[in-house]
Amino acid sequence: MNEADILHWIRDTWLGVTVRQSRWIFATGETLHFIGLSLLVGGILIVDLRLLGFIRRIPVRAALAFLPFVIVGFLINLLTGIVFFSADPMMYWPNPAFKLKMFLILLAGLNAIVFTVWRQRLALGLCDDESGDTFTKVSAGLSLSLWLVVLLLGRLLPAFEGSTKFF
Amino acid sequence: MEFLAWLEQTELSLWLRESDWGHPIVLCFHAVGMGLVVGISLMFCARVLGYSKSFPLAGFDKLFGLAWFGFAMNAVSGVLLFIGEPRRLLLTPAFLIKMILIIFAGFSLWILARTLQSAEHPAGANVVSLREDVVSRSAKIAAIFPIVLWLGAIISGRLIGYTIGPPPI
Repeated sequence: MNEADILHWIRDTWLGVTVRQSRWIFATGETLHFIGLSLLVGGILIVDLRLLGFIRRIPVRAALAFLPFVIVGFLINLLTGIVFFSADPMMYWPNPAFKLKMFLILLAGLNAIVFTVWRQRLALGLCDDESGDTFTKVSAGLSLSLWLVVLLLGRLLPAFEGSTKFF
Repeated sequence: MEFLAWLEQTELSLWLRESDWGHPIVLCFHAVGMGLVVGISLMFCARVLGYSKSFPLAGFDKLFGLAWFGFAMNAVSGVLLFIGEPRRLLLTPAFLIKMILIIFAGFSLWILARTLQSAEHPAGANVVSLREDVVSRSAKIAAIFPIVLWLGAIISGRLIGYTIGPPPI
């Protein structure tokens, strides 16, 4: 099975066929994608800005408590994203903005795992008014920047349709 | 209508409508602004409703600075989006509903802030001894409205993209 076969297979799955036939699934998915985006952005802002030391009066534990919003927002967007992709895989796959977006989401996930494994315990031990070490700050800054670019690339996806420039 | 037709024939409107990058770039700003305004509002309402109780409410001060920045960004990008297709937008019910919902959402946040303040400083009470994260029942009820109204604004905003415009002038 080569790349084109896989894309055709996805397009012809029950999901892909259903999404294309429906008048409202795609539009509803887009709306949910925006809501998921807002949850993710709201939660990640609180977590990352606290770790960066911008809102230091907040206890780290209270800030990290907002992570479930990030995870729920991400899951909503992953599921709706799969719905979009299945409707037109041949459009998304060659799109450079799509490829870069997926790559940056993987990086953001990796960054979150690295932070959780190496620094979360240390960060939770931070006193009120204390900011994290350089490693923590770099990780938090990276997280904010990556999600910002992911958001922008998502919005720019249609503009890159049919383009093979840049990549 | 005459004014809108004139607006639609300006250079700026044409650029926003027909250039390769005008519309997508403005939409980018609009999406980031939405994330800031709605994201921070939702987290604030969740906190008022009882989520992460050790999070001091005053900690949202700086975040609301950021939310205002996002709002300003969306006011500017929103005006630009309007200039791009004024006739269509003014004739689209989803657009008018979205504008009304945004006004109500802002108003509901203002009411929520007022409710929280009056709980923090009840008449005659010793302000210093009051913990800042005491949230009254009425504040919790007030925190439901911004959530519903922002989600409504997102839904109607998305629907604008699915309506068909009037023919070109």
